[in-house]
Amino acid sequence: MSEKDQADLAAMERTDEPDLDRGIVEAWAAKMISNPDRAYRATFYVATIFFLVTTLFPFYWLLMVALTPRNRLSSVGVLTPGGFNPGAFVEIFTRLPFHRYIFNSFLIAVVATVIVLLVASLAGYVFGRLRFRAKNVLLLSVLVTSFFPPAAFFVPLNRLFNRNIDILRPLMQDGSLYNTPYAIFIPLSALYLPLSIFILMTFYSQIPDGLEDAARVEGTTRLGALFRIIVPLSAPGVATAGVLTFITVYNEYFFSSLMTDGRPQSWAPMLEGILRFQGEFEVLFNLMAAASIVAVLPVAILVIVAQEKIVSGLTAGAVKE
Amino acid sequence: MASVTLQEITKQYEDVTAVDDMNLEIRDGEFITFVGPSGCGKSTTMETIAGLTLPTEGTISIGERDVTDLPPKDRGISMVFQNIALFPHMDVYENISFGLRLRKYDQEEIDRRVEEAADVVQLEGMMDRMPKEMSGGQRQRVAIARAIVREPEVFLMDEPLANLDAELRVHMRTQLQRLHRELDTTIIYVTHDQAQAMTMSDRIAVINGGVLQQVAPPLECYNEPANLFVAGFIGSPAMNFIEGEVIDDGFQSQYTQIDFDPETHGVTPGQDITVGIRPEDVFLEEDARKAASPTKAFDAVVDVIEPMGKEVNAYLLFNRDVEASAEGRGEGQLLINLAPDTDIAEGDDIRVVMDRENIHLFDRASGDAITHSLE
Ligand SMILES: Nc1ncnc2c1ncn2[C@@H]1O[C@H](COP(=O)(O)OP(=O)(O)OP(=O)(O)O)[C@@H](O)[C@H]1O
Ligand SMILES: [Mg+2]
Repeated sequence: MSEKDQADLAAMERTDEPDLDRGIVEAWAAKMISNPDRAYRATFYVATIFFLVTTLFPFYWLLMVALTPRNRLSSVGVLTPGGFNPGAFVEIFTRLPFHRYIFNSFLIAVVATVIVLLVASLAGYVFGRLRFRAKNVLLLSVLVTSFFPPAAFFVPLNRLFNRNIDILRPLMQDGSLYNTPYAIFIPLSALYLPLSIFILMTFYSQIPDGLEDAARVEGTTRLGALFRIIVPLSAPGVATAGVLTFITVYNEYFFSSLMTDGRPQSWAPMLEGILRFQGEFEVLFNLMAAASIVAVLPVAILVIVAQEKIVSGLTAGAVKE
Repeated sequence: MASVTLQEITKQYEDVTAVDDMNLEIRDGEFITFVGPSGCGKSTTMETIAGLTLPTEGTISIGERDVTDLPPKDRGISMVFQNIALFPHMDVYENISFGLRLRKYDQEEIDRRVEEAADVVQLEGMMDRMPKEMSGGQRQRVAIARAIVREPEVFLMDEPLANLDAELRVHMRTQLQRLHRELDTTIIYVTHDQAQAMTMSDRIAVINGGVLQQVAPPLECYNEPANLFVAGFIGSPAMNFIEGEVIDDGFQSQYTQIDFDPETHGVTPGQDITVGIRPEDVFLEEDARKAASPTKAFDAVVDVIEPMGKEVNAYLLFNRDVEASAEGRGEGQLLINLAPDTDIAEGDDIRVVMDRENIHLFDRASGDAITHSLE
């Protein structure tokens, strides 16, 4: 080994390298390279803060707008409200029956979710666990439904729901579904069904056959085995499908606004209520903001309650038990 | 308590026939064991009886009822699954009581029965455990408890003792036999363990490739195997087979000759047959008196010796030119059982005799047994 080689080796082993002159950035970079854990942690915090700011800032600003008195709306700051007027949160209920709009949306979303989960469970069982001819064709045709833009279905459905149907007369006053919750959750359930079928099918197919067999020998029917064994074991999937359906239906505007005349007693949804604060001569931005915040609460609560299941549902399949 | 009758049961999967035209009558209160190599259709037969798979053809009756089209819950059966199949989201108590709760027994009755069943399988104090907090053996015992707690007419048990240690297995074996006696139920059992099959069963059903080979009491399967497959499958170590041909005054193979009168045993000179002799029916020439009716002696060379404790297995070659095959059971080779104190060493030249009373003859073309004794 030559003397030069030895000198190089010695240089590589020295860590402080005192004779190199460095700027702040270089020094920082060197520190990160010698200590990668710190770099990862720093990146993690930067990324987390970025996502938190981009997702939460709109809420924050909504709150700022809601708290600003109406006559000072033009002076809302980026970070501070233009005043302090919590009364807006009361006013939304006095000026309009906004609670009724929320109730409408909530009820429609709950009913749609229940229908979707029930039907999708049965379909998911069939697609995920049974073998039969033409299964893939059938599955594909179910999925194709969800590829259409909802607007494609609107015109025929609207015509249908506006017609007086005699057999419905005992149920509905005038025999037409227009201005009833049925006109909203029937098409919405159908539209969001394929997604849930797909989610549940994936989960149900992973439950070992032996468990279903054991349940059936112990005394359940196939249906009993589905609801006593397969569904509980697929809880994350069911929660995910349920919450996704609930949120989409709750937030849905297109069908919900067109299938009713917009009055709360005609089952107009929450979004319709928010838009009602937009009067003929002025737009009550503070009330719209307050209403939006109130409207988001049911979903927020639901997600917080179900979050553990949803997280494991969305990441399931990564690790199979 | 019920008999089980399979009539012409066939189960066809896309590429395999798992069960092939099976006719079997299982008597009321009988303990019958299905044995056979892996993949021969034991579990499929069980599932067909349970109603978990529908047979492609044939009918099944339990008791007097034709149950071919009944769902599992209406067949009056319970089953221990090969893969155990405990419900992962229920604790031990809920698992065991699942069937009782479905049938709406009152709480007191459920508690009493669960306690009894847990007692039989020694699971006291584990009622609150979840399946994933238990060992494989404990889970298997929960599965057995879940099956016995309902006191059904027919038990189906697919290798219920596979995951237990030797001591617990012997204990459970006795427990199951006691249970069988007390409840007087019909038990259909699957095992790979010959000791279990021999000791527990009233009858053994030997299956190969989906086809029923022989149904008989254990000792009959052992002493009078119906064909080459049963002869080779039942008994451990397995029977020796020597392939050869019938000649005018007996049997001739490459290395051996055995004298007998072809006519009395229903074979004709020129016929291809296989001689079967169990390792314990071959003796050293000096011990020939231990054989009821010794043949004349053969020369042999000791190839490998395996001392097993209570006996010695010796792999012999008929002469020094025989190629020893890896498993020691090829043409020209013979496995014999000797007393543990026998004084032989590998490489010794010895002379052995066979016991004519226990020489089996099989027709090589069909595999069927011709006779089980040359006397
Ligand atoms: N669902 C199925 N689809 C297709 N083939 C199957 C199915 N179940 C079993 N088989 C086939 O049927 C045959 C019999 O299987 P079975 O499970 O009854 O064997 P077994 O005797 O229980 O084996 P082991 O002793 O290994 O448990 C095998 O060849 C197997 O591959
Ligand atoms: Mg099996």
